[in-house]
This record gives sequence, structure tokens and C-alpha cells, in this order.
Amino acid sequence: MKSMKSRWASAIPLFVLIGLCVAIAVLDPKFLSLGNIGRIAAAASAPLVLALGATFIILMGSIDLSVEGAMAFAGAVLAAFVANASGTGFDIGLAAIPIALLAAAAFGCFIGMVHVYLKVPSFMASLGMGFVGIGIATVLLGGERVGILDQNVRALALTRVLGLPLSVYVSLFMLAVAWFIQDHTRIGRHIMALGGGEDLAAASGINVRRVRLLAFTIAGMFFGVGAVLTSARLGASSALLGSGQLFTAISAVVVGGTALTGGKGGVLQTVIGVLIVIVLNNGMIILGLPSFVQQGVLGLAIILAVLLNSSGRSLAIVK
Amino acid sequence: MLDLKEITKTFGRVRALKGVSITVDVGEVVGLVGENGAGKSTLMKVLNGIHQPDSGTVEINGKTETLRGPRDAAAKGIGMVFQEQSLIANISVAENIFIGNEAQFVRFGRIDWKAMGEAAKRQLDKVGLDVDPRTITSELSFMQRQMVELAKVLTLEEAVDGNLCILLDEPTSVLEQAEIDILFGVIRKLRERAGIIFISHRLDEVIEISDTIYVMKDGAVVERMMKADATPERIHHLMVGREATGSYYKQDERRPPAEAIALSVQNVSRALQFSEISFDVHDGEVLALVGTEGAGSEPLIRSFFGLERTHLGKIVYRGEDITNTSPGRAVAAGIGYVPRERKIEGIVEEMSVQENICLPLGGRLTRFGLFDFPAIARKTAGLIAKLRIKTPDGSTLCANLSGGNQQKVVLSKWYRTDARLFLLDHPTRGLDVGAKEDVYALIREMCAAGAAVVLIADTLEEALGLAHTVIVLKDGRQTARFDNTGPTPVTPLDLIAHMV
Amino acid sequence: MSINDFVQKALIDRRRFLIGSALGVGVIGAPGLVRPAFSSTGYSLASSIRSLSNAFHAAWNKGADSFAQSIGDPHSALVTEGNSEKGIADIKAFLAKAGDKAIIGADPNDSPDARPIVEAVAAAKGHVVTVWNKPDDLHPWDFGDNYVAHMSFNGVPAGEQTAKALFDSFGGEGAIVALGGIPSNVSAIERKAGLMKMIEASGGKVKLLDFQDADWDSAKANNIVAAWLTRFGDEIKGIWAANDGMAIGALEALRAEGLAGQIQVTGVDGTRDAIQAVKNKEMAATVDWDPFWIGGIALSLGHHAATGAFIPSKEPQEHREFYGTGALITQADVEDYWAKNIEATPEIDWNDLWGRVSGQITY
Repeated sequence: MKSMKSRWASAIPLFVLIGLCVAIAVLDPKFLSLGNIGRIAAAASAPLVLALGATFIILMGSIDLSVEGAMAFAGAVLAAFVANASGTGFDIGLAAIPIALLAAAAFGCFIGMVHVYLKVPSFMASLGMGFVGIGIATVLLGGERVGILDQNVRALALTRVLGLPLSVYVSLFMLAVAWFIQDHTRIGRHIMALGGGEDLAAASGINVRRVRLLAFTIAGMFFGVGAVLTSARLGASSALLGSGQLFTAISAVVVGGTALTGGKGGVLQTVIGVLIVIVLNNGMIILGLPSFVQQGVLGLAIILAVLLNSSGRSLAIVK
Repeated sequence: MLDLKEITKTFGRVRALKGVSITVDVGEVVGLVGENGAGKSTLMKVLNGIHQPDSGTVEINGKTETLRGPRDAAAKGIGMVFQEQSLIANISVAENIFIGNEAQFVRFGRIDWKAMGEAAKRQLDKVGLDVDPRTITSELSFMQRQMVELAKVLTLEEAVDGNLCILLDEPTSVLEQAEIDILFGVIRKLRERAGIIFISHRLDEVIEISDTIYVMKDGAVVERMMKADATPERIHHLMVGREATGSYYKQDERRPPAEAIALSVQNVSRALQFSEISFDVHDGEVLALVGTEGAGSEPLIRSFFGLERTHLGKIVYRGEDITNTSPGRAVAAGIGYVPRERKIEGIVEEMSVQENICLPLGGRLTRFGLFDFPAIARKTAGLIAKLRIKTPDGSTLCANLSGGNQQKVVLSKWYRTDARLFLLDHPTRGLDVGAKEDVYALIREMCAAGAAVVLIADTLEEALGLAHTVIVLKDGRQTARFDNTGPTPVTPLDLIAHMV
Repeated sequence: MSINDFVQKALIDRRRFLIGSALGVGVIGAPGLVRPAFSSTGYSLASSIRSLSNAFHAAWNKGADSFAQSIGDPHSALVTEGNSEKGIADIKAFLAKAGDKAIIGADPNDSPDARPIVEAVAAAKGHVVTVWNKPDDLHPWDFGDNYVAHMSFNGVPAGEQTAKALFDSFGGEGAIVALGGIPSNVSAIERKAGLMKMIEASGGKVKLLDFQDADWDSAKANNIVAAWLTRFGDEIKGIWAANDGMAIGALEALRAEGLAGQIQVTGVDGTRDAIQAVKNKEMAATVDWDPFWIGGIALSLGHHAATGAFIPSKEPQEHREFYGTGALITQADVEDYWAKNIEATPEIDWNDLWGRVSGQITY
């Protein structure tokens, strides 16, 4: 009976998403047009990849606030290695993408090291390092927004296959990767175990430091992919490349039903969470809601999601 | 196979182990007993590689070894079943059994779930547990988890070539008799290739299963005795270092309750948990709620403190309707609550003993709006001495105390507030004999001071030993009410007849 | 290419202080690394700005460095990171060190911050010029010579000019959508007011389909424009944005649908990529505030006052509280602008203090 209840609870975000889509479509049928579904998919691709990265950290019971800094850093590295509007990049074309991803993974790994070896709480380590990332990007880019001219990179956003930009397929591929890591690899299961009980995992002989380090590295790599997709979409890289993405990523993870306390939820829930946030954003503009109403609706939606996800827990253990 | 020689370990100013030597042979069950804080848990952590001894040696099969951590200990044949369960609730049973050892199932980076499931099934068969290895662990009952825990340790049988040493830390503390019998069967079978260290507070059990018994007190072994020489009284005497005074539950200190009704429960119901419960508790009275696990006594007692909502009925405390109150208002009205999960609800581990004790007092210990620290120290020092809380001083963090001593802090916390109604949910769970007696004495004192007590006891004997009145619950309904002060004593069998 | 070539290339012009300069010569604008061109005049210069991460303030810092080098005095950037307390505290710390030799160009984080900043500078007998934000009732002439001047830029004409260029791009008749900045921000309000004035002036020929606040954020602007394309389809003839960042976000949303160039976009601020987009005929116009000039001229005004080259209290009020001039860049004049300002390094005469004054600030 308990498992039935928890299964229903984890399906709530899916019902919310469906209900949201139905409600918006009733008010304006254009919402369900092929063109708009493609736009939602395109708008969701980078946030999805970012939220997937954040999911791993949140599953572990930690938090990663470095999303914007990691993106800025990866974006700046990308800009440095492709043809760019300042004319100063080492123009190595698509080979710049793996370099940017490696840089992002190294950045995440470094956050993990600060967190694990210097014993700084994850939110502080990632927040601090996030600013460092923005700082490095500022220096690398001289504070400017630098246009990315490399057509192969731009193709991620501009080339369409079956009506959808390549970025959508990239994000689906990353989803498959994330799902594989979470459900079929040791590191994924150990991340889950850490979320369930770090002391217990350590007592079972899991090398907790290594798991944390790897988790932050994986998250960094996902943030790097998100940065590449965002740069491709905006056609530019800047130290502010990721602005606003931290809130979107974390709220999408939480709305999807992954508990901030760790151990509960997962990458598939995050997909639903991202779609809820993006559909809400898109739908409110299509319905012509004023900006200030949109902000309020989004904030309320997040609180509601957390409430729905935590219902059934007894009052006494809510902190 | 395992030989500990003169192990010492010091934490700050606390000398946890003062030269402990223990020998375990294959085929031998070694019982280890001692009061809370005697050093048993520290010794186990040394054996598990979590703590490194300051001096002394660990010899396994005649070789001196350094244990660098749980994995290292396991690789050398030492497995441990923990007192506080070590299973991770949100992953599957199979994963828990092989956690940290998944490498054997990994093919090209991918875990072969089928192979792991089959291997897990084989381990579960060893302990006679029939559950699907894919089940999420949180869905198992406590007993089932205990068995999974054992199955996990038994994976060492395949992983290690030599003999095993298995440490069982309080494996029976929350098991029913039938479950204990299953566990003992498994232990006896294990002896063929393992030495076993068995730790328990239930002295009769220790004597039943062990070949040799070591008694620890204050970080040292005070006696090693053979099974034939062991009696509960003798062990108790050695552990506590004082005579067990009076009758165990201090029945002779039980006084008749006063006329005034402290708590009146009138037809309260909560959907799916309990329904139409009615009783009165008088000042100076101990009322025990008994029933099987899930019969509804826990949510009921929590509802008096505002931690669960009731849907029907009325709860009256000293003439005031407190139906669906809040913990804050309950405290203000003079109700104290000792929860079962003391780590979650009972104490703040990161605060000192003093601070914890004074937590519910709030404004009453302030002078000119500031905390009056000398007064706090004076008042808490009295309680620490009275309850024999083993702590270097009042400013030690609660996290550094043993379980029994933490529980005493919880009790003294409410005692200080001059609460007039105490709700005690398993107040002696996991405590040793000496600590239990201290708790019983405290309950008697509360009553003598005119307070009323609602109790969920750890055992039926405890309920009958302490209570004036016993209410029996079954499937959320009140099936019987016993007056325990009459001339013919109520027996556990009388209660059980209404429980099942 | 070798690192050396790379560094050389990066150092060629002032607008190319980007990637190359960092990968090559290290930290940009770090005080002490910049070798003074002339011997020092003994003053300490500082610019209090929001951050170095946005193009506007980064260029401001460059301009301030450029002026500092021209007189050979040290300059440091005091970054507020959007935190008023930090901004004021940093300025006070700087004053404690530099005393009456302090010359500060400040973009107060928030209007009320200007008062404590100015009072602290006056108490230390240093000199300060504020830009953009100050309370309406705080005036330089109330502080003698130490509060040299306040400079601002009127967003209303910028909004009007870009709106007009946008309307012209589709023949003056049709529907547009518009992206605003953070709604409580003075520049956002002024620029929007300029747009609304022009829509009213069109006499119904130009219709505003929707106005959304994208909070100066290009990613947000991108998503809003994508949703607008669903909602309004080809009704949209043009997109007005309150700054270039949002304009570029909008432009990329159009590009993803193959509409770049067909629907024109306008922005404000004159960032490099926006100017490039105007040149590519994908944006109709932007307004260049020239932050490089702002950063340098603010310190130059302070330095001239400090050295006694002019006495602030003897100057007319339109030299103490004035609007600077923004330059509208349209597709018609972008080539000329590009040649003069981007391909060539413009020589700014830091001694021309009042050349770009376009009137006293009115409230």
C-alpha cells in the first residue's frame, strides 16, 4: 500500500504537466501547433541538460549553485576555440566542443575537490566557484558578449532535422546518458545511495569522497553541454551566458519531484519538471499574461510542486 | 581467529577503551555486554576500521593487521551488522547487499542487474528471507531489514577465503521472539566457518547464544566467563557495579493516583490509524498503551502532542480542549513528549547537553532578556548527576554521547520544564539495564510529583511493571482496559489475548 | 597561429580587448600591470561600477584606464556586484587611502547610494562625478567644488529614435512587439516611454501587440520571442528591445526560424554584436552611449576640477548636471561608424569636457 501511494505521488508532476498543456490548449489551440511544440522543444533543450546535471547533485543530497558560473566558463572556452566576432579565437571548429566540455568537467571536478578536501559545504563551494567561473569568463571575454561565428556550432540551433533543431536531439542523447549513468552504473547507484544515507554508504565501504568528486565532475560536464547549446542558440558567448539558468534548473529538478534532501527522484522526473517550467513560460506568453503575473505564477507553481511532493510526510520530520 | 590485544582509544578527554583484550575462535560465539558508554560501540568501530586504536594490536589468523576502513576490514574477513541499521532505504535490497562490491556484476561499465538479482537471492536464501531482491528497502519490515543486513554480511563467505568474524551489534533489540529464534538458528549455522561477536542488552539472550561472555565497564573488560558460569544477576552486577535495588520496575514506589483528571480522551479517531478511543488519565497515574506494531498507539500518543491530526472526537487536558493542538501550545500547556526516534525528534545533536535540557524552557531561564548561564549550569548539573548522564560536563555536544545517555538527556529536558503530563514513546528502547532503571526511577518521581504519564512500553513486562492502567489496542480499536492495581496481577498473556 | 601573433593581434585596437588579451597578456586592466605613459600627477583614480562581466561597464573601465594612462596616475575599478553596501564601503576604503587626492567616477548601484558617496568624498575633500543614478534632490552645486558633476543619459530620445528606425524598416504601418528591461529600472522606464510616445505619434498606424519584461536577459528574450511567433505569427513586423542584449536574443530566435532580416529588431547601448547585426541588415538600429568615453570623461572632469583647470562652482548648472549624447546608429550610417570607431581606434580628446553635453537634466 505504501509503495502504491509513493508511486502515485511520483506521477503527480506528470499529471500537472498534462493538465497544464490541456488548460493552455483549451484557451489557445495554437499552443499545440507543430511550430510551437518545436519551439518548446528548442527552448527546453539547454535547460534540460543543465537540470540533468543538477539532478545528480541534488540526488546526492547536496546542491550545485555553480550552474551559471560553469556555463560562463565553458562558454568562454568555447568562444576561445571557435571563429568568433572578436577575430581572436583559435579557430579549430567542432573540436572546440570537446575542449569546452573537458574544461567544464574539470571545473566541476575542482568544485568537488574544494567541497570534499577542504570540507566546504557544497552550496558554498559551488556558489563561490560559480563566481570564480564568471570571473574567469569575464577576463577571457573582456566583459563583452562575443559572437560565435562558427557555422558548425551554430548548426546545433539552426539546422533542423524532422522540424526540430539539432539541439533537441543532443539533449535527448544527454538524457539517455544521464539515465544510463543513474540506473546502470556504479557511480549512479552510489550517488543514489549517498542521498539515502551518506554515513551508511560510507560504513558499507563506499568511497564517499570519490563519489562526490565524480558527481560534481559529471554535473560540470552536463553544464558544459548546456553552455554549448545556449551559446549556439544565442549565437554568442558572454560571462552572463547562464544568467537565470540556475533558478530554472533547480526549480525544474524540484518541480519534477526530486527531493532536495536527496535520494528520491531522478533524471526522468527532471524531464517532466523542465517541461512544466518551459510550458508554463511559453503558455503564459501565448495567453498574453502580463510579466508581473508570470513571475508570480512561476513562484507559486514551484511552492505548490514542493508541497505536492512532500505531502504524506509527517509534520515532525519536515525541517 | 581474531585476537585483540590491549586496545586503547581516547577521544579528547574521554578514554573510551583502556586496554581491551578479546579472543574469538572459529565456531565460538562471544557475548559482549556492558552498559551504554562502556566502550562496546567504540570497540566495534575499531574492529570495523572506522577508528584506529591509539595502541594495541589486532591479529587475524595469527597475523597482525591494520584495518583501514570497513572495506579493508571486510576484505580481511570481519563483517558487521550494525545496531542502527546500515541499509540505505531508497535503493533495492540487492544493491544494499552488494553495495561497494558491485564490480563483480559490471560489464563494460554497465551493471548486470539480472546477475546481481540472482546473487542477492542466494544470499537471502541463507537467512531464509523470501523477498524480491528488486524491492526498495524502505518497503521491508524492520525484521526483514535485519535479515537483509545479515545476508549482506554473509556475502563475505564467498568473497573471503579464510575464516570470518561476524560482529552483531544489538541484533535482537527490536525483534519479536519468533524472529529472534530465526536469527539464532542462522547464527548457529554460521559457526561452522566463523567466529561471532554478539552484543546485546538482553542478558538472558546473551547467555543462551554465547559460549564465552566478556563484561565491559568504563572502557575495560572486567570479567570473562564461560556460559556455564553466567547468570543474569552476576552479569548485571558486574556491568552496573551496584546492586539492582528493589524490584526492577520499582513497583513498591507506585502510589495510587489522585482524583483529578489530567487527560481525557473522548472518542478520538484518525482515518486508517485509530478509531473511537476513550480513556482518562489521572494525576500521578501511569497509563500504558499496548498493541502490536501498527495497532495505532504511536499515532495516538503523537496526536496528544499535536504531531498528528485527529478527525473525530475530543481531547481534553485539565479541562481545556486541546484537540488538534500544536507542539508549541502543548509545551506551553505543560505536556512533555519523548519520541521514539530520539535522533530525529528528541535531541539536537549539535547542541550541548545543557542547551538540550533547557531547550523547551525558553524564557524561563533568562534574566534581563539574556540567558542566565550560571543558573543554567547549576540547574542542569543537578539533573546530570541525578540521572547519571555520562558526560565530561554540561557543555559536551550531545552527538558525542552514547544512545542511552542521549535518551536520559531527552527525559531530563522535559523533566526540567515541570511538565504535568508526559507522553513517553518507547522511552527505554535500546537502553541497557542500568539506564533503564534510571528511567523507571524518573517515571516514578514524575508521578510522585503529581504528573500523569502516558506510556508506550518496550515490552509487555515493562508496561505491566510500570502502569496503573493498561489500554490494549488492536487494529486501531480499543479492545481492553486493565486495572493493574488490583489484587490479582495482570499477566502478559491476558494482554496478548486482546492484542491478536 | 603562434601565441605571439595572437597577442599582437589582440592588442591592435581598443575594442578588441577580448579573448586574446586575456589568453595572451593575462589580466586586463589590473592596476599596476599597465605601465604609465607619462609621469604621475599624484592623484589616485577609481571607478565604482557594477561589474566587469557586462560589456557596458567593461568598456567603461577601459576608458577610465585609458584616461588614467594619459595622465600617468593609477586607476582601480571598485566593483559593487550590485551590492550597495559593498559599493559605498569600497569607496570609503579608497578615500581613506587616497584622501584629497582621490578622484572618483561612480555609477551608484541605486539612486539613494549617491548621497552617502558624495558626502564621503566631500568630507575627504576628494572629487567625484556621478553617472546615471542619483536622487532628484541631490545637486552638485550643494557641495561646493567636490561634487564636480552628474552625468546621465536620457532614455526617452533613445527609445524614440530606435522606435522610429524600426517603424521606418517596415514602411511605418504594421504591428510590433516590444521587450522591456527590469520594470523598476529608470532606463527601462525612460526607453519604454520613448517607444510609447512614438506609437502614439503614429496615429494608430503602428500597433503594439504585446510588451513583455525580459529583464535585460537575452536568453529570456529569446524564449519570449519564440512564444510570440506562435501567438502572433507573421503579424509581427518588427521587434523593439530596450537593450542590445535582448535585441540579440530576439534576433537569434528569429534566425532559428529563418526569419532573421525579414523582421527587423532594434536595441539600445551600442554593443559590438548589435552594431555588427545592424551592419548585416538584421537590426534596424541601436544607440551608442560610448561607455569608453563615459569612463574616461568622468575621471577627466574630476581631474580638471582637482587640478584647478576649472572651478566647478563657477560653471553654469548645465555643466554640473547634464545629459550626455547617445549616437543613433542605423543601417544608413553604420558603415561610416564602423570605419571610424571599430576599424580605427578613435582618438578621444579627454580635454574636451563639454563637447557631448546635450542639455541640463530636467525632472
